[in-house]
Amino acid sequence: MNELDPVIHQPARLQIMSALCQLGERARVDFSYLKDHLGLTDGNLGAHLATLEARGYIAVEKEFVARRPKTFVAATPGGRQAFHTHVAALQSILQPK
Amino acid sequence: MNISPDEAAKALQEVEASRAAMRSAIRSHRGHLYLWLWGCIWIAMSTLNWVYGQRALLWNDWICGAGLVVTLIIGVAQGRQIRCRTDRRFIGVCATLLAFGYLVWPVLLGDLHSYDFHSYKAAFAYFTVLWMQLYMVGGIWFGNYWFWIGLAATAAIVGALLLAPAFFWPVTLLIGLVMLGSGLYVRYCWR
Repeated sequence: MNELDPVIHQPARLQIMSALCQLGERARVDFSYLKDHLGLTDGNLGAHLATLEARGYIAVEKEFVARRPKTFVAATPGGRQAFHTHVAALQSILQPK
Repeated sequence: MNISPDEAAKALQEVEASRAAMRSAIRSHRGHLYLWLWGCIWIAMSTLNWVYGQRALLWNDWICGAGLVVTLIIGVAQGRQIRCRTDRRFIGVCATLLAFGYLVWPVLLGDLHSYDFHSYKAAFAYFTVLWMQLYMVGGIWFGNYWFWIGLAATAAIVGALLLAPAFFWPVTLLIGLVMLGSGLYVRYCWR
């Protein structure tokens, strides 16, 4: 039986995982682009990403692009699995018993 | 962790809203800009070659060169938002195909000292099909629609060259228009 994941269930982190899992497996999204997309502040997004990264659900990579530091974020395979399990658990709550 | 059905429904709505918004964002990274760019380049080269013939040869090189520069600019600009990991093996495959196409086959199949094609149209077809080959390899490698773009263009070019050479330039012009149209479809209609 699928169980809800309290780490993913937090509203902002749920949005983050939804967005990241929509990307292809090889794709990564820029931190600023994700921030604008979700309407979060730098600190808020950074804190949630740190929580997800600590659980191994996302990978955060820092690179230099045109001499400027850029941070790219992607869901890990484990993160995708955990997110899909969480969504399945949400859907099972709505199904009649 | 226990939540009510109402909370579960609300969470699922938020998931779907976030997915839909990201799908919309991803749509701007589907490659339609490249189709528009190279569609315009195909139209420009086809028109110049149709009107000026072999005299347009130098223009082809400049137009393609400019196209490659703009392609790189688009890639860098879009890579600031969403980027894929550099697949060095794919780049290696493309480099090998291009190296053979430009340096090996013309020498082996033609005159040892020059690119010897039986006609200017054949030369144009050879080099454009060489690049369409990369579209097809990219489509197979990454599992996307580029394979079909490359295949259709190759079939049209080779068919026109062998079966209807009088219509060769109108066919290449049509390929450019199809690329433009494909870009519009990918950007605005493809879900």
